[in-house]
Amino acid sequence: MRDAIAAEWWKLCSVRSTRWVLAIVAAFVVLLLALAFQEAQIFDGLAPGRREKLALRPLQEMSPWVTGLCMAVTGVLTATSEYRSGTIRSSLVAVPRRSRLPAAKAVVVTAVSLAAGEAATLGTFLGSRLVIGDRPFVDQRAPLPHDLPGFGVEAVSVPVFALLGLALGLLLRSAAAAITAVVLLWHVLPLLVFHLPAPWNERLGSVMLGGLGPRAAGHSVENSIYGGALPPWGAAALMLAYALLPLVVAVSVFARRDA
Amino acid sequence: MIEVRELTKRYGGTAAVDGLSFQVRPGTVTGFLGPNGAGKSTTMRILLGLAAATSGEALVNGGRYAELRRPMLEVGALLDASAVHGGRRAFDHLGWLARSNGIGRRRVAEVLERVGLAGAARRRVGGFSLGMRQRLGIAAALLGDPGVLLFDEPVNGLDPDGVRWIRELMRGLAAEGRTVLVSSHLMSEMELTADRLVIVGRGRLIADTSVRELAERFGRGVLVRSPRPAELTGVLSAAGGSVEDDAGGALTVAGLDVADIGERAAAHGIPLYEVRPRSASLEEAYMELTAGSAEFEAAIS
Amino acid sequence: MTDAIAAEWYKLRTACSTAWILAVVAAFVVLSALSSWYLAHYWDGLSPRRREEFDAPSADQPLSVALPVCAVVLGALTVTSEYATGMIGTSVAVLPRRRLYAAKALVAAGVMLTAAAAGTAVAVLAGRAIVGGRPVPVLGAPLADGVPHLLLTGPVAAAFTLIAFGLGAVLRSTAATITTMVAQMVVLPTLTGLLPSPYGERIWSALPEGLAEQIAAPPGVSAGPGVLSAPVAAAVLLVYVAVALGAGRLSFLRRDA
Repeated sequence: MRDAIAAEWWKLCSVRSTRWVLAIVAAFVVLLLALAFQEAQIFDGLAPGRREKLALRPLQEMSPWVTGLCMAVTGVLTATSEYRSGTIRSSLVAVPRRSRLPAAKAVVVTAVSLAAGEAATLGTFLGSRLVIGDRPFVDQRAPLPHDLPGFGVEAVSVPVFALLGLALGLLLRSAAAAITAVVLLWHVLPLLVFHLPAPWNERLGSVMLGGLGPRAAGHSVENSIYGGALPPWGAAALMLAYALLPLVVAVSVFARRDA
Repeated sequence: MIEVRELTKRYGGTAAVDGLSFQVRPGTVTGFLGPNGAGKSTTMRILLGLAAATSGEALVNGGRYAELRRPMLEVGALLDASAVHGGRRAFDHLGWLARSNGIGRRRVAEVLERVGLAGAARRRVGGFSLGMRQRLGIAAALLGDPGVLLFDEPVNGLDPDGVRWIRELMRGLAAEGRTVLVSSHLMSEMELTADRLVIVGRGRLIADTSVRELAERFGRGVLVRSPRPAELTGVLSAAGGSVEDDAGGALTVAGLDVADIGERAAAHGIPLYEVRPRSASLEEAYMELTAGSAEFEAAIS
Repeated sequence: MTDAIAAEWYKLRTACSTAWILAVVAAFVVLSALSSWYLAHYWDGLSPRRREEFDAPSADQPLSVALPVCAVVLGALTVTSEYATGMIGTSVAVLPRRRLYAAKALVAAGVMLTAAAAGTAVAVLAGRAIVGGRPVPVLGAPLADGVPHLLLTGPVAAAFTLIAFGLGAVLRSTAATITTMVAQMVVLPTLTGLLPSPYGERIWSALPEGLAEQIAAPPGVSAGPGVLSAPVAAAVLLVYVAVALGAGRLSFLRRDA
């Protein structure tokens, strides 16, 4: 298994798409920090009463959301690029035990996307705190050690999206189909649910993957399209299910299918 | 050592491989011959655990491929050489393969050197020519220095130099005592490369034989030219050969080999202009054997 | 040119992916009808006072969320799938590139326009029939109010297809094209919400997603922060299409297949 993981790691590092995705994530963090700078300027220009309404958290929470999409695409591509190029057969000749190959992929995808998610999320959080300096934004008054773990937890949604992407890629074997499915889960479905009449928008909105990260971290989802019906531990458990159930299905289908 | 026993693979109602059994022994190049769609690639895919057999088994060194711990150390395979990720560099492609079986980087450089791609190691595979991809695929097969090698249509689309290179490589590998199985639909190619032949058609075994045996079985005799054909006919008939008069003054002799004919003619002082076994008939033998088993036969107009 | 279009139409028609995309569109039409049905029943159960406050989305809301995604995937695949399979070599060999590019764009846009317009019409009419005489806001609004929306949804979807098509010809990768388009349609508009007024609204108004809403918003939907009139928004969207198609064409004609 260690060899298979090392091989998958090598594979992921030796294609350009991985570097592109990571570069885009990094660029996005920089963009967010620029926007944070902008918000700091706005803050200075506001009357004290209106300052209380300017929150920085929506900006900080953009980071795991977008990184989640990016890493989901990486997850999709680790599976579909092999099918498109035919490398899947070389991979299976090298690692013939059927569940081992996708398991190794899952380990590598989890590691890379967790690292990217934490780096982007914590980077945005710490960076934006640095940018605003000592300006007392209404939601940035807690000391760093108090807020930091929450963002650390929120970033865990990134590997969940990545594993979901990997599972969809293994199942659908087509980048177009799998990325479309990811986009449906990441964007379209939450939007549809949001437009349902109460109480279903709240109920279903609470089980949408995109809202689970903030919920698991105990953050408020009041101003988002997601619902907050789940307790943090429930959201965390559901996230785990989102990561593992599709993957288990995908691996068992993969194990039975001819390559 | 490769053993295929009563192997059957069905896709829906059609059997791609149908009760196929044969063995491939070390130290020889075994040609796996058959028309397109005869089930060669399917058999190889089952051997490598890529597809599951409907029934029967395909064993490598006595076990199933999927159960090998480090399969590349025992079996090397070239399937579809163009099936590589174009964005990866040649070194990286071999690198991850090697890593998956605990093979070191030095070996990667070694096989790249051996197939003549050392200079292209840092280039992306997407820019490789067909011949270079074929060499890369062979390098991958050689990575683990395996005792069993499978090549699926290795000379497809290669130029004459490439074809000769692969032929010599395969013969060299067999001479080192390895088991080499090469699939092809070209008899003419296998005639020059293989010692033994496993011929299949429509998923079934048609012949499991050596190249020599096949040539003899479908021998069309020896062609002889001489300025004194009538005299020679008498001598050879007396020696037990059956002689036929071809158009153009040549004789076709059956029952005697080239050496016999030469010696008898010399003993009677009859000059010979040409003595040649009709070995071109191997292609014909193959066509005859596989006749009617091609998947899609061209409509006769 | 007719031959080129006929050939491209044949190709698109026989591609598995096209059938899937149209199936997704059809599924969302059904989902729209289901949503109308649910909303109508929900309305029946509301007290008169809560009916006053009730605000239902337009009948084709579920479809309208999915349409841009489908449009983008179709546009991208029309060109990138040929690069992925290597079929581009064959295509370029049998047709002059100029004509091939134009025929591809036309056929993809035509298919999306038809699918989007037909799907929206069915969703809206079905919604109308399901809601019947109930005065549900938006859902029960007179059909005539929705005519511009009905007429413009198709062309807007086709515009997204063409933008994705042009981008696909430049990037030559399905994954990259779809991801870039989705990021542009979903992430950028969200980011503009973080910008100070009026810059956020202005930038939002000039993004394709915002333009689509300014051109063909369903009747009665609370207007977005758009600052452009429909004709101006349409003109800006056309500029996007022209730029994407131009860049794609340049890449398609100049670079090796």
